[in-house]
Amino acid sequence: MAILGSYAQTLRSKNAGAFVLTIDVIFRSEADYQRIVQSPLLTAERIAALYSVAPGDVQVIPYPQVHAVKVTLPRAMPSGDIGDTDVYGAQQHVPLMLLEVDELSAG
Amino acid sequence: MATQEQIRLLAATGCIGYGFTETALDTAVARGLDVIAADAGSSDPGPYYLGEGKPFVSLRATERDLRLLIRAARKLNVPLIIGSAGGGGGVPHVALTRAIIEKIAAEEKLSFRLAVINAEPPRDLIVERLRAGRIAPLWPAPVLDEATVTDATRIVAMMGAAPLQKAIADGADVVLAGRCSDSALYAAVPLARGFDPGLAWHLGKTIECGGAIVRPKTGQDCVIGTLRQDHFEIEPAHPDKRCTPESVAAHTMYENPSPYEVLEPSGLVDTRASQYEALDARRVRVHGSVFRHADRYTVKLEGVSLCGYRAVFTAGIRDPILIRHIDAFTAQIIDRVQGEAVSLGIDPASYTLTVRRYGLDAVLGPRETATDTPHEIGLMLDVVAATPDDAATVLAKARYAAMHTEFEGRLCTAGNLAVPFAPSDAAVGRAYRFSVWHTMELDDPMEIFPIEYVDVAGA
Repeated sequence: MAILGSYAQTLRSKNAGAFVLTIDVIFRSEADYQRIVQSPLLTAERIAALYSVAPGDVQVIPYPQVHAVKVTLPRAMPSGDIGDTDVYGAQQHVPLMLLEVDELSAG
Repeated sequence: MATQEQIRLLAATGCIGYGFTETALDTAVARGLDVIAADAGSSDPGPYYLGEGKPFVSLRATERDLRLLIRAARKLNVPLIIGSAGGGGGVPHVALTRAIIEKIAAEEKLSFRLAVINAEPPRDLIVERLRAGRIAPLWPAPVLDEATVTDATRIVAMMGAAPLQKAIADGADVVLAGRCSDSALYAAVPLARGFDPGLAWHLGKTIECGGAIVRPKTGQDCVIGTLRQDHFEIEPAHPDKRCTPESVAAHTMYENPSPYEVLEPSGLVDTRASQYEALDARRVRVHGSVFRHADRYTVKLEGVSLCGYRAVFTAGIRDPILIRHIDAFTAQIIDRVQGEAVSLGIDPASYTLTVRRYGLDAVLGPRETATDTPHEIGLMLDVVAATPDDAATVLAKARYAAMHTEFEGRLCTAGNLAVPFAPSDAAVGRAYRFSVWHTMELDDPMEIFPIEYVDVAGA
């Protein structure tokens, strides 16, 4: 079963300020980028479910200049708050990385 | 109305203290530069450093970087601009960086005019703006209230280009700024000299992280940005490194909620029409960026509040029977400690005990989907309480509970944990949270950024 990470040359997460998490997926090729962007894979609803946030709080922004998709969502809590697990937000890309993309192989 | 054809800026490093190579700096100096700048801060390392007034890099590394940059700037007689001094950019951060600069000047026998710009607005002004409805949350931060403003340990405001421009116009050789827009460090001089604001701000955003746009990625290093009337060029200062259109374009999206818009106090940089082209194997040309001026001049406020005192304990779990019952074990620790705290006069509502289970779910928490049973778990007990003594007391009870709690099928009745060293419990210090993350309107871009001029006489 292929995962989204296998199509990426960069797949990273980081704080965009203390309250927001932003995830960059830079694809290996223009073709992979086009197939993913045109598929229903990276919808706000699907990402919201992975990250336990409201779909209305998830932005999915295609960035064709570098065949990338940027995903922006609220952090579970502000950076460094009591109980936070990842002050920089640098390991929160993994649920998106592990997203299964089996429907793509047919595309 | 630009009076010169081009302006060449050096972004020395993504953060003072993270370093750069002397080869890169020397190469850039030999080429000739109009401005040297570097950011020194970030909110990324968390609320502690802003609250505590401490840097997140070492003083030795800060001194090394600043010494090389001051020497270079004085040799070329060009401005050196340092932003977000000391990490958080608050008054103590600026003061400790100023002391390092003055020490370097004395040791290097250098004399220059230093501008020190503080960035902690008076609380009564923030309250006044809040009452006037001129403070808004940056999504998804909550609406601000007066008690939060009054009780915050520290609140800094992120300055734009205007205070830097004023300092340089007043003859500053070295500008030491508190919390500051990273891009403004590079946009300030070009804007003052009449260059296009879209290109000036986009150039600033592109080089503010220094070596982040340089390949190969072998740590921080210097980047040269050359701004002309209708485009800018980016190249690594180090002769063996390169920038590509992809590395440059990808940076506009880095640590930014949008790849197309970068917010600044006076407006936003719109990169939708930006074009990135390779001039050769290591230089990139960018044009088409547009600046959209905002109706109102706003600065970002970053503030932290004290939430208690932290103490932590870390140990390893290897027993497979315990690992099979880790959830019940965790719940039992939390439950037992509550009872023990009450018996010692500590209200369970006054502390938090976070049980972090590395190897299981400590990184993703409830978002973890892996279901494999690990062979080993790193257990961290993280207590934040109202006083240092409460934190130590609760943690000691939590350690004892974790070491000796029963679980189903337990064979290891002498102890549940491998404790790696003694003392096992560490007092971490104060714990803070980000409580202010808002924009505030200013009547004037200089309103809350006082400049002090110091004639540093090292010679």
